[in-house]
Amino acid sequence: MAMSALRREGKRLFPLISPTSINATTARSSLVSEELAPYGARSISTQIVRNRMKSVKNIQKITKAMKMVAASKLRAIQVRAENSRGLWQPFTALLGDSPSVNVKKNIIVTVSSDKGLCGGINSTSVKMSKGIHKMNAGPDKETKYVVVGEKAKAQLVRDSKKDIEISITELQKNPLNYTQVSVLADDILKNVEYDALRIVFNKFQSVVSFVPTVATVLSPEVIEKEAESGGTLGDLDNYEIEGGETKGEVLQNLAEFQFSCVLFNAILENACSEQGARMSAMDSSSRNAGDMLDRLTLTYNRTRQASITTELIEIISGASALTG
Amino acid sequence: MSSGAAVPFWRAAGMTYITYSNICASLVRNCLKEPHKTEAISREKVHFAVSKWAEGKPQKPSNSPLTLSTSI
Repeated sequence: MAMSALRREGKRLFPLISPTSINATTARSSLVSEELAPYGARSISTQIVRNRMKSVKNIQKITKAMKMVAASKLRAIQVRAENSRGLWQPFTALLGDSPSVNVKKNIIVTVSSDKGLCGGINSTSVKMSKGIHKMNAGPDKETKYVVVGEKAKAQLVRDSKKDIEISITELQKNPLNYTQVSVLADDILKNVEYDALRIVFNKFQSVVSFVPTVATVLSPEVIEKEAESGGTLGDLDNYEIEGGETKGEVLQNLAEFQFSCVLFNAILENACSEQGARMSAMDSSSRNAGDMLDRLTLTYNRTRQASITTELIEIISGASALTG
Repeated sequence: MSSGAAVPFWRAAGMTYITYSNICASLVRNCLKEPHKTEAISREKVHFAVSKWAEGKPQKPSNSPLTLSTSI
């Protein structure tokens, strides 16, 4: 009651105060009070709060629905991602994973999603890619990006668009399958020259944890060079090669097939992480919307109650003034 | 060995191992009987948009050629 009385008083006082001295602040406050309570209104209007509550409720409905959709998509894709891990594991057992290899032509394949609203997974893979780019920078070295997905493209265009070689989008229009990814891998292999391909993606661990991961695929020449210098690749000579192919041919076939398999797994894992991240993001945003709704409801009810009390007091005091 | 003789041919035709294995996979899928065949062939759908970049700008995006379904 006191508040609304003061506001009305302020309104009446307003023309008296010289407009130049406190121009900006009074102008804004008069505007706000105008919106909340038109001149001569009995109490503050609750219309705006009611509208706000309605919109928050609608947003909450949308985020809840998105969470449900993400959860059901996640279940389907999680099985496939976990099964696809069997594709790259033999390659790692055979050729090893050597992320620290030092070669001239590096290609960084950044895997991201096409759609947003999925937490920080795209930013982490972009950050990781930039870090690898820096690590492999040098005077006689060349490092290029191949960007899979709309979101990483948008982030990389800002400061390293000169280094983008190929960008691929709309991968997830149809459900992901190996044929699609292998054709994509083929396109990448045909269009870039590389000594090492580094695939950056978010490996799915659980619905709330994703590990940014780098998988390295070496070109056949580099594998041969590494094999000569020993290490895990030195064991490669122990294998007997059937048929009339030379070791170089076998290695080239292997490297190509390894790339398509690793890329397939990377894209599946990333899609899985995307759905998981979206699920938890949507969960927390619908929880936030609920909190906000609670606060707004409290304000709304309090204001309504205050105006009712005011009216009652006015009626009662008016009646007692008449009788007394 | 048949595979030993086949290697130079597809490599000479400008194919990578991936293309070669995809064509083989597609042939195997076509050998399936009917209820399984359509299901397996539905896993062959390929769709994505690729654009090459030059001078920091994307070139005209091209939808991926359906190498599999058109070549066989």
